Amino acid sequence: MAERFAAPRTTVVTGASGWLGRGLVDRLLRDPARAHLKLLAHSTAEAQALASLGDVEIVIGDIGRPDTARRLLYDVGPDCDVVHTAGIIHPHSTREFFEINANGTRHLVEAATEHGIRRLVHVSSNSPFGTNPHSKDTFRANEPYNPYYGYGLSKMQAELAVFEAVERGLDATIVRPPWFYGPFQPPRQTVFFRMIRAGRFPVVGDGEQRRSMVYIDNLVDGVIAAELTPAARGKAYWIADRRPYTVNEIVATVGRALADEGLEVKTNRVRVPALAARTAEFGDRIVQRLGRYQQQLHVLGEMNHTIACDISAAAADLGYEPKVDLYDGMRASIRWCKDEGIEL
Amino acid sequence: MTIVSAAPRMEAEVLVIGSGAGGATTAAVLAEAGLDVLVVEEGEWIAQGSIVPFSLEQMDRQYRAGGVTVALGLPSIAYTEGRCAGGGTEINSGLYRRPPADVIDRWTRDFQIADLDYDEVLTIAGEVEEALDVGTVPGPPTAPSDVLRRGAERLGWQHGEIPRWMKYTNGGSGVRQSMTRTYLPRAMTAGARIATGCRIDSLDMAGGSARSAATTLPDGRRGTIRFRDVFVCGGAIQSPALLQRSRIDGPIGRSLAVHPTVKLAARFADEVNVPDDVAVHQVKEFAPELSFGGSASQPGLVALALSDQWATFSKAITDWRRISLYYAAITSEGRGRVRTIRGVRDPIVTYGLTRRDRALLGSGLARLGLLMLEAGADEVYPSFRGAPIVRTPADLATMNRSFSAGKASVMTVHLCSTIPMGQDMTRCGADSFGRVHGTDNVWVNDASLLPTAPGVNPQGTVMAFAIRNARRFAAKEHRRG
Repeated sequence: MAERFAAPRTTVVTGASGWLGRGLVDRLLRDPARAHLKLLAHSTAEAQALASLGDVEIVIGDIGRPDTARRLLYDVGPDCDVVHTAGIIHPHSTREFFEINANGTRHLVEAATEHGIRRLVHVSSNSPFGTNPHSKDTFRANEPYNPYYGYGLSKMQAELAVFEAVERGLDATIVRPPWFYGPFQPPRQTVFFRMIRAGRFPVVGDGEQRRSMVYIDNLVDGVIAAELTPAARGKAYWIADRRPYTVNEIVATVGRALADEGLEVKTNRVRVPALAARTAEFGDRIVQRLGRYQQQLHVLGEMNHTIACDISAAAADLGYEPKVDLYDGMRASIRWCKDEGIEL
Repeated sequence: MTIVSAAPRMEAEVLVIGSGAGGATTAAVLAEAGLDVLVVEEGEWIAQGSIVPFSLEQMDRQYRAGGVTVALGLPSIAYTEGRCAGGGTEINSGLYRRPPADVIDRWTRDFQIADLDYDEVLTIAGEVEEALDVGTVPGPPTAPSDVLRRGAERLGWQHGEIPRWMKYTNGGSGVRQSMTRTYLPRAMTAGARIATGCRIDSLDMAGGSARSAATTLPDGRRGTIRFRDVFVCGGAIQSPALLQRSRIDGPIGRSLAVHPTVKLAARFADEVNVPDDVAVHQVKEFAPELSFGGSASQPGLVALALSDQWATFSKAITDWRRISLYYAAITSEGRGRVRTIRGVRDPIVTYGLTRRDRALLGSGLARLGLLMLEAGADEVYPSFRGAPIVRTPADLATMNRSFSAGKASVMTVHLCSTIPMGQDMTRCGADSFGRVHGTDNVWVNDASLLPTAPGVNPQGTVMAFAIRNARRFAAKEHRRG
């Protein structure tokens, strides 16, 4: 396998209270080699929750504001890696996509270049690449940009800012996770479980469209591998479960996982004609053009498509090997929900 | 060589209509089996090498309608057909692909083709490869080929040189081993006659039998050819049109399949244009659904490719030596039709792309654009109305946003499947060996028979099937005789 960096003295995590951020912090806190964790929280409440986790330094700020990144990095020294997980996916208005995802990343890579840190990992998404042209197609390591509406465009701009910073001397790498699942999930994912339990999850068309998904622990493995692999500089990697799943398979597997965790699952299925999803997609486009954002329209519109990616470059270059598959990962997330007292 | 002038009254044991990849091989097999064969060809006999390949003169003399033929639809799809002795083999890029095993397998199953043995197909393919001197280019790749190789290499995409039917001289230049240099001379050596400039208007049918063919001679006179059996090898547009004009019913002309392609022009720092040849590399990373290759890049064709967005692209034309053209081809789930209208000489061809086809054309053009940037292109000019000039990866996003198949210059050269072969009577126009269902003595033996578009350059498959079917016919004749 490729040469690996040792863990740095300081590890900075933006978006530390987010889904991935929390999963990553959890892992880093358990690693004795990580001497110093510095976390960016968005509010006092988030900061307090993070402080209760252990010995961490916390900076409160909004990554969309130019001074936040400078405050975050001003005393970290060169033996420091930055993992940029902050981002917004379901905002109130499309303006926030650009303030947080695009400008936030620009501010951060500028500050990181100035401070001369060791490695920055930028967490991107599948959305700069849109959807696959047919259900058997799989995104390769390198694909042309084809951003999926406002979120995709803002995440593309963020990637471009990272690549430009690399040209100017920053050591940075990009990971691209698709749809994730697992512990620390936000409320929208609870809705997903509830819909499947009630047999009301909308399967669009024949349900044979494929989706890449990534279990949060697999993603954390991938992010850390990207951080610690010197040869990943200037490159971007898909980090996902071993293979894409069809929507039918996702619905069936989650249903099975729920049942095996002792929950009652209705077996009826809601089939949505492809036309309805195309209508939703069209509605999403109009609403986003007006500067607004409607989560249900967006998600239903997207369900009609295949979003499948190929992880072989991450496997080859980073030694990335996803350890958890859909069934086990879903059972773990259901157990996490129960432990947190979340009603499914 | 027996090139005869067409006469008002002619006769033959077997009449072969058309002299391309299907007709020439059919004629050679049947003549070598001792049958009396007459080949009629609508176009003229032009020796390979006497006209500059991919030139305007070639389009005028060797293409049907000067190369301007269109399948109507949204968007309409431009296509080309050869109209000369040797047909499409005289004018295509000469790239040879073996019949793909999975495709043959799918055809056999889905269309119920009887006695189709893949090993037999491969054996015949081997003979064809020998007869046509199929091989790779000696020495390093040409500049346009190297662009594809370099870009694919950098992206980690599968690519390779596609062999061609080409005989190379020591200087490295090649002569295409088309039908006028291979199977047609073989047929004539075995006694076949070929009449050029002769068009077949219709077959005279009595019950299920064709007794004679009505012809139009070069001077406009009408004539008749009498025969015992007839092989229709006019290609996927002309063959179904002739059967329709002859009032032969069945699933004929209803399932035209093509590989729709979109194009771009790419400008490099170096002189990459080779006007009289095409790239021999293809990128097969996304095959069979999507494949990339090089297109003929004569200055006139470069201008044509830039014409979709002439207002902003036209400045590039003076730099044509640094520009080469490339295509993205897809396997289509759409279907087309060939229809004849009484009293109108040429058939009406229509083709409809599906939603998936349109998405795939857009994705193909974008991936091809990315490959060009990786290969070092300074500027990429995609062939659709309203296209931006692409210089950076971010420009590909802009391009994707403005692309729609309806605005693109979609074209195709691989036309097939208008008379699918097989025992499935609901959709096969001919039986498992090419005899038209419901007839005693009318065979089809060209690209029309391929049940679907094969996803690769089809000429190798057309020839292998034509030889298989002609041999079966000859063997039966032998038993009968």
